[in-house]
Order: sequence, then C-alpha cells, then structure tokens
Amino acid sequence: MTGATGLLWLSKRETLRVSKLWTQTILASVVSSLLFILVFGLSLGGTIKQVGDVDYEVFIVPGLITMAMVQAAYANNSASIFQARFDRYIHDVLSAPMHPWQMTLGYLVGGVFRAVAIGGSLLVLSVLLVGAPVERPFALAAAVALALVLFSSLGTVVGIYAETWDHTTFISNIVILPLAFVGGVFYSVDVLPSPWHELSHVNPIFYLVNAVRFGFLGEADVSVWLSLGVTAALAVPAYLWAQYLFTTGRRLKA
Amino acid sequence: MYREDPPALELRGLTKRYDDGTLALEGFDLEIPAGSFFGLLGPNGAGKTTLISAVCNLIRVTEGDVLVFGEPAASLPARSWIGLAEQDINLDRFLTVRETLVYHGGYFGMTREEADARAGEMIDVFDLSAKRDTRAPRLSGGQRRRLLLARALMHRPRLVILDEPTASVDFELRMELWRYIRRLHAEGTTILLTTHYLEEAEQLCEEIALIRGGRLIARDSSDGLRAHYGADSLADVYVKAMAG
Repeated sequence: MTGATGLLWLSKRETLRVSKLWTQTILASVVSSLLFILVFGLSLGGTIKQVGDVDYEVFIVPGLITMAMVQAAYANNSASIFQARFDRYIHDVLSAPMHPWQMTLGYLVGGVFRAVAIGGSLLVLSVLLVGAPVERPFALAAAVALALVLFSSLGTVVGIYAETWDHTTFISNIVILPLAFVGGVFYSVDVLPSPWHELSHVNPIFYLVNAVRFGFLGEADVSVWLSLGVTAALAVPAYLWAQYLFTTGRRLKA
Repeated sequence: MYREDPPALELRGLTKRYDDGTLALEGFDLEIPAGSFFGLLGPNGAGKTTLISAVCNLIRVTEGDVLVFGEPAASLPARSWIGLAEQDINLDRFLTVRETLVYHGGYFGMTREEADARAGEMIDVFDLSAKRDTRAPRLSGGQRRRLLLARALMHRPRLVILDEPTASVDFELRMELWRYIRRLHAEGTTILLTTHYLEEAEQLCEEIALIRGGRLIARDSSDGLRAHYGADSLADVYVKAMAG
C-alpha cells in the first residue's frame, strides 16, 4: 500500500471535473482571452504599431495567456476544494490510504490540467491569428510550470481557508486580476514614468508575465533568470503551505 | 505458536477537544474484537461521531491512540481496512453513481478492473442499476443513502463503520440494508454501528457500548445491560443509563 493508485485516481477525478464542465472551465476562458487579443491587439494594433520591435498584437499574447492560465489554475483549485469541503465529500479523500503529499499533488493536477488546456488552446489560436512565435520553448515551459505550481497551490490554500464562495472570488478579483493588469500584460513597463515604473517591479505577476514573454518573444523587460527566480521564490512556499495544510489537517479536519 | 488476532478497533485514552474548547471525548478507552457486531449508543452530542471521525482520520486527535487491527489509524493499511458511511450524505456532486464507486475504489487502491467489477456488483446489490449514469444530486434520498452505503463497502473493508445509516430511511430499505450487513458480518467483517433505533441495536449487535458526555458508561451484550440495569428492554436501559 503506497497510495500511488489513490494519487492517480484523485488526479483523474480532478481532470474529469474540468472535462465535464469544459464550457465553464475551458471554453469561457479561451473565448474571453481571444476577445482581448482581437479587440486590444487587432483594433489598438492600428494605433500602437509596435512595442520595441514587436507588433502590438503579438506583444500582448504572452501576458494574456499568462493571465488566463494563472486565473484558471487558481480558480480551479479554490473552487474544487471549497466545494469538496462544503459538501464534505473531501472526507472520501482524507480518509483514503494516501499520504498528505499525494493529496496535495492530486489536487494540484486539476489546476495544472485546466490551465494547460486553456494555454494550449490560446497558443494555437495566437499562432494562427497573429503569428505569435515561441522563441525560447524551454524558458516558456519553466515559466509556465512555476506559474501553475504557484497559482494552483494558492487556489488550494484559499479553498481550504475559505468560509464562503465570496472568499475564493475575492482573491481572484481583488488581487490576481488587478496585479495581472498592472503587470505589463498590455504594455512594456519601460514606457511608464517614475514611480510607476519602479512600483511595477514589486508586482510578482510582472516577473511572471516577463518570464512567459521571454519564452514567446526571446526578449522581456527584465532578466529571465530574475523573473524565474522571483516566481520560484513564490511558488515553493505556496506549495509548501498547501502541503502543510494537508499534513497537519489544519482547516481540513476539526 | 497461536497468536490471537488484534482487536478490530482499540482506543486508548482518546481525548478530543475542539478548537472552540468543547471537550467531545475524554480519556476514552474501548476495544472492539475482530469480527464482532458492535453498537455505540448515546444521545446527540455524546461523542459518537467524534469517535468515528477520530478512527477515520477526519479530525485531529488531541491525545491518545487509535489502533485498527493493531495498526495506527493514520497508517495507510489501517485506512484501507475501514469503510465509513457517514450520518450525513456527502457524495461527490460531479460524479455519477458508477463513477462515485469506481473513484472511491481507486482512492482506496483498487485497480481499474477491480473497481469496475466491484462497482457493478455494488450497483446490483443496492439496486442502483437504473441510476448508474445519474449524478448524485439527481438521486432520491433513498438512492443517495444506498449509494453512500455502497461506497463504504466498495473496497471490501474489514471494519465497516455505519453512523446512523438508517436515519430517514424507509422500512423496506432498512430491512434490505440489515440483511446485507448481517451477511457481511457472517463472512467475518467487523461492524461498528451507531443508531438511535434501540430495537435495531438490540436485534443486530452482539455488544453495545453506551456513551454520554464523551465517556463510556456501560458496555455489555443487550442481555447483560438489561440485567445490570434491572430493565425490561434496551430502551429502559438507555433511559436509566442516560439519566444516571
């Protein structure tokens, strides 16, 4: 008895939930991000020709994909775990012969699956519609992996602490979305005047957007190593926090 | 050399104090022999569900030990030996009847083939064939209760814990359920039952423990309890024990 089978089935359950609700979990996010690319990119692209030497409609693609993926990873895990706690069917998992790390990982898979499904769809559409390149695939993969660990874990933590549905959406609407918007999704922070330029550098999502943008375009506002380092420095504690909650049972068990 | 089987359940000095300060169990000792049909009776708030939750890793134990067939309750083998049907319906709203059973089997270490075969068996036993592809929220109350019990038995547990399984269940289903549980018990499965139906406990359980305020106040066969309390029925025993 190692718990490996349980981990596999918990991962399958989390991906099954995403698949069953695909119009809400995947399609809605792809459509809204696509609208951003079309409305902002193709319409404003006529006014803002280029950012640096990159066409505007291509420049915004990495940030929009990042925003869609991190929101999906967060929303998936916070909703899935909160619902399981609310209806108490999480007891089926908590009483099962699985190690706490397997529970943490099993739930993480759901957020990653949903985010990758959205990101993959948007990538294909972006290549077809605006010719977005992928200059540094390994850097892109590393940035996406760290981003998804960070936001899936954050979703897990919030799903465990939340008392109401409002708590889960609060973090998304009041923290993640605003930080993503001012994190250089639609512009290069180099064009911002002081102190906005400096303030952008304390926004963690700025580094994440830049790491993904480096993966797509091969260039970004800051070093890719710094961007990956900052994202990793947040992803590791977020994952450990989620793991701590499953290990100790705090907030999960009375 | 002959070696006696360890008890199905052994609680040593089990204490649970909730975060709000409520002391639900205090220094609770209990041993349930392997293969027995054991009843746990007590009023609401006596600590029955807390005790069950401690055995099933659903609460953080304040103090004491819980052993299942000689293994710590938190260990993976011990968890795989327990099947729990909780008092309240807690079914995964996204899964169909068949998926509920198959995924539960998977969580408890069954392979796909084992889980598929066993789920089919449980669906037949609990008369859920017509609803196999229906999601839990669309089932009737009785069907949900059947599914909850099927899920508890899905992975062939050695210790089945039934927390008020017949609460708000019609007479027919109660009879069917007890017929099946008796058969399981005859095959060697240990059953721990909590119920408010005293006649049910009297008919089914070989031994009964009475608990009140988080403490064990009596434990014996129903005949033994009647003799001890000088009562004609288990209901009289219950009234006297809880008043004392």
